[in-house]
Amino acid sequence: MTLEAEVQSLRQVPMFRDIDPARLKLLAFTSERVQFAGGQRFFSQGDAADAAYVILDGRAQVLLDTPHGEIRVAEMGENALVGEMGILSDTPRSATIMAAVPTTALRIDKRVFLELLAQFPQMALAVMRELAKRLEQTNAQLVAQSTS
Amino acid sequence: MVCRTGDGIVGAMEKSLFRYIWTHSKRDQLIVCAVVLASQPFYFASLDLPRQIVNQAIQGEAFREGQATAPFLKLDLHLPNWLGGQSFHIFDGFELGRIGLLLGLSCLFLFFVIINGAFKYWINVAKGILGERMLRRMRFDLFSMVLRFTPEALRTVKSSETATIIKDEVEPVGGFIGDAFITPIFLGTQALTALFFIIVQNLWLGLMAIAVVGVQFTIIPYLRRELLRLGKQRQLASRELAGRIGEVLDGIEAVHVHNAYGWEKAEIGHRLFRLFDLRVKIYNRKFIVKFLNNFLSQLTPFFFYAVGGYFAIRGTLDIGQLVAVIGAYRELPPPLKELIDWDQQRLDVQVKYDQVTEHFAEERLLPFVSAREERVQDEPLIGPLHAEELRVSDAHGGMILDNASFAITLPAKVAVISSGGAAASIMARILARRMHGYSGQIRIGERDLQQIPPAVIGQRLAYAGIDPILFPGTIRDNLIYGLRRKPSDGVAPADSREEMRRITEAKRTGNPVENIADQWIDYGRIGARDADDLDRILVNLLNKLGMGGEIYLFGLAGWLDPDEEPELAERIVEARHRLRETFQAEGMAGLVDPFDPEGYNEQTTVAENLLFGVPKSDEFKGRNLAYNPDFRDAIERAGLSDDLVHMGLQIAETMTEIFEGLPPGHSLFEQFSFIGAEELTDFEAILRKHARSDTSLSKEERAKLLSLPLAYIEPRHRLGLLDNSLKLLLVHARRLVREMLQSADADAVEFYDPERICAAAPLRDNLLFGRISYRVANAQARVAEAVSAVVRDMGLLEDIERIGLDHQVGTAGRLLTPQERACVNLARCLVKSPDILILDGALSPFDEIRAQKMTEVLFELSEGRSLFMVLPNDRQAGPFDVLMRFKNAQILTEERSGSARDAEKPVPDTAQPIAGEVA
Repeated sequence: MTLEAEVQSLRQVPMFRDIDPARLKLLAFTSERVQFAGGQRFFSQGDAADAAYVILDGRAQVLLDTPHGEIRVAEMGENALVGEMGILSDTPRSATIMAAVPTTALRIDKRVFLELLAQFPQMALAVMRELAKRLEQTNAQLVAQSTS
Repeated sequence: MVCRTGDGIVGAMEKSLFRYIWTHSKRDQLIVCAVVLASQPFYFASLDLPRQIVNQAIQGEAFREGQATAPFLKLDLHLPNWLGGQSFHIFDGFELGRIGLLLGLSCLFLFFVIINGAFKYWINVAKGILGERMLRRMRFDLFSMVLRFTPEALRTVKSSETATIIKDEVEPVGGFIGDAFITPIFLGTQALTALFFIIVQNLWLGLMAIAVVGVQFTIIPYLRRELLRLGKQRQLASRELAGRIGEVLDGIEAVHVHNAYGWEKAEIGHRLFRLFDLRVKIYNRKFIVKFLNNFLSQLTPFFFYAVGGYFAIRGTLDIGQLVAVIGAYRELPPPLKELIDWDQQRLDVQVKYDQVTEHFAEERLLPFVSAREERVQDEPLIGPLHAEELRVSDAHGGMILDNASFAITLPAKVAVISSGGAAASIMARILARRMHGYSGQIRIGERDLQQIPPAVIGQRLAYAGIDPILFPGTIRDNLIYGLRRKPSDGVAPADSREEMRRITEAKRTGNPVENIADQWIDYGRIGARDADDLDRILVNLLNKLGMGGEIYLFGLAGWLDPDEEPELAERIVEARHRLRETFQAEGMAGLVDPFDPEGYNEQTTVAENLLFGVPKSDEFKGRNLAYNPDFRDAIERAGLSDDLVHMGLQIAETMTEIFEGLPPGHSLFEQFSFIGAEELTDFEAILRKHARSDTSLSKEERAKLLSLPLAYIEPRHRLGLLDNSLKLLLVHARRLVREMLQSADADAVEFYDPERICAAAPLRDNLLFGRISYRVANAQARVAEAVSAVVRDMGLLEDIERIGLDHQVGTAGRLLTPQERACVNLARCLVKSPDILILDGALSPFDEIRAQKMTEVLFELSEGRSLFMVLPNDRQAGPFDVLMRFKNAQILTEERSGSARDAEKPVPDTAQPIAGEVA
């Protein structure tokens, strides 16, 4: 798997869909490709957020700490972006991500990511658009919940 | 000679430069003068010989009476008439024919030329050495004075200014020293000889010449002094002009707003006029001086012609004498001119010297303490500490301490509680003898604190302030800084000629005779057996202060010299094998890709794979490798050249594509790009040229492209450029590269060997003997853990930490974190085992929990000794014996009963080994 393949994966991520191919290549090039064994954690809830990950191959579980122990709330598959909220909002990890099977992911370093955003407004806009879209969806869900 | 001790000079600099020079170099000055005088007859002879050659040999005067031969080298001594006028016959000489005489005299002439040259050589060298010795002495004296600046003076003294004075400003003074006495004597003798010659010929003519020379010597220096003054004025005026232009530019808005053009123009115009005026004055003066000088020089011949001619006509002077006098006079002006120049140089240098002595004025210096007293009073600093009537005022005259007194029995642990005021810090500085501007008295036992010699204080008292001062060098150098007092076995006897010469020179110039290579550390005093034992103590101390982890990491990043520590080298190789077994056993084999002589290492660069070693000279490091002809040759022969250039093209293509649009100097460039921002256009040009394909790339361009893949690591950069066949080719090329490089420069690269230490690689690489995988998440941390486990298992921890002591701290310790700097500073104080340790803000870089821990450690380490610690409030003062508070400019001490203290005293946590924290 080479840089080109990673760029293809990044393109599948909604947040990066509209970004110029050369920029996506830069994003991929400045990221690291890492392998997690099954059961190995990307990060744990409460850790400082230092990177976001794009799953290239494999699956990962989203776990939440509760008084009754960790519970599984979701599973992420290929081309999913995880941990991006932490690096954007500068807050500790709100959940644990654990590889369900041997998983390969692209690790996007927080500092590099923010620097790219600062350098290329087009990328920042794409991220904003995605966040706004999510907010809209959340609002719609809230409305749906309150009316139902 | 001024009375000196081994450590420096007494008092301040001599006010007069000449006295300073004369005091310290009169013997050498006199010797050189004597040689100068001794050289004069030979010089005279070499001037006289051409006349003899022409007259006697060529024109044949010696053969005028028809003899076939004439004596050569005939030596007769004629006593002057007033000594009886006898003649002594010393040597008959050789009887030679005309050609023989010519050759003989010519050879004699050559001989004198050589003799004169030799004299000149010796005199120049001697003058140079003399000047350089005095310069060395002066620089050393000034440096000794730098060490004696009072803390108060240091506030106004600029360090850069002082350094410039010692380095640059005294340089011309040194250059002048060689000439200070010799030039006037030499030139003066020459001039006097000529004058004397004239007087002997005719008294009146001589007196006339003397009179004119006298006028020349009074008027011209006087006029020149005025010239110097004008020059200085002009320099000041032009400096002010520049300043004024700057001011106008900075305030240009005000000029616009108030329409002040007219005034500003007039102002500058006025300044320009002043500059012009000064220049005109300088020109007038300068050319008047020149005119006068020329005129006076020509005035004498006028007298000679007029008066001498008159005598000649009257018959009291023969023509020959007159011609000789005029000839002798021609010899006069050059030495006179040089003498006048020398005088001007003297004035110049004296001004410079005055500036230097002002900078090191006596009132800015601490009194000098001779070395002898120090031995008498060296007793521990324990007993009752009494302070009486301390008075300190701040800059505005407010009293910080007013008639304050206290008494404490040492040893004691004293919390000096500041409560936000300045008094606590000042008290700490007074006790540490860092402050002198106070009145009152502090006594320890019977001794006045002020009177205790610095050597005793330096050894028995330690002070750590808020700013740790570290010198560039290793951590070890900084830690033992306080232990270097003097060579323990005195000055070692000189065992080589070079060493003897060094000592003689040092004695001649008032420099210290101690050799910095001698043993300066008194190991016995700190309870160490030798250097290794001292290292152990230092490492132990740092571990206790919580810096063990850092030192271990520094050690892993450090280098081991297998020649010096063969045993340790062997154990490291053993640890390497053990580590490999651990990786295999625990399923971690995929985390590290080992260096294999027969296999390609995926996790490292193409260059490292080709070299299979660590380059030692810059020529083989990084991109330079691509430009090395031997390496290029090897690549070519291995058939790799085209492949690598092709890789370079692909890399260049990707880089120019993805880094386009990033501003030059962006941090992403430096961190990720193969190509610097400034090279981007070059590579774009190469790519365009290649795309046209009909033109082949130049050698330079190929080298440029070749340099790119050298840094390529497939799993990291992921451009998919390396396939298995290329990897195989690269591994095969290793042998060729090695042979080529070894034949070119055997010492250029140190090659990896699984069974040996690679001295050029850091310890970490030697332990791993491979590269940590880029692919596996969290591999770094897991490998570090495994390494630390093996290191502990094999008992290598202390050795590695010892190597960590070699870590460079950088200028002012900038390569360390603030916490590490503070630790090193504290350890430097603690290793001296001082009777009194005074801390003022030394723990401020640490958070409260760590500071609390450090305090416990400090208590443990200063058991039975005194500790003064400035604390912001009494919350942390729990374990201290005495609390010192400041109120209304008074000092209140509160002795705490043992039980109250013990209740609060935390249990020292010594059981937990800090070394265990390393990961």
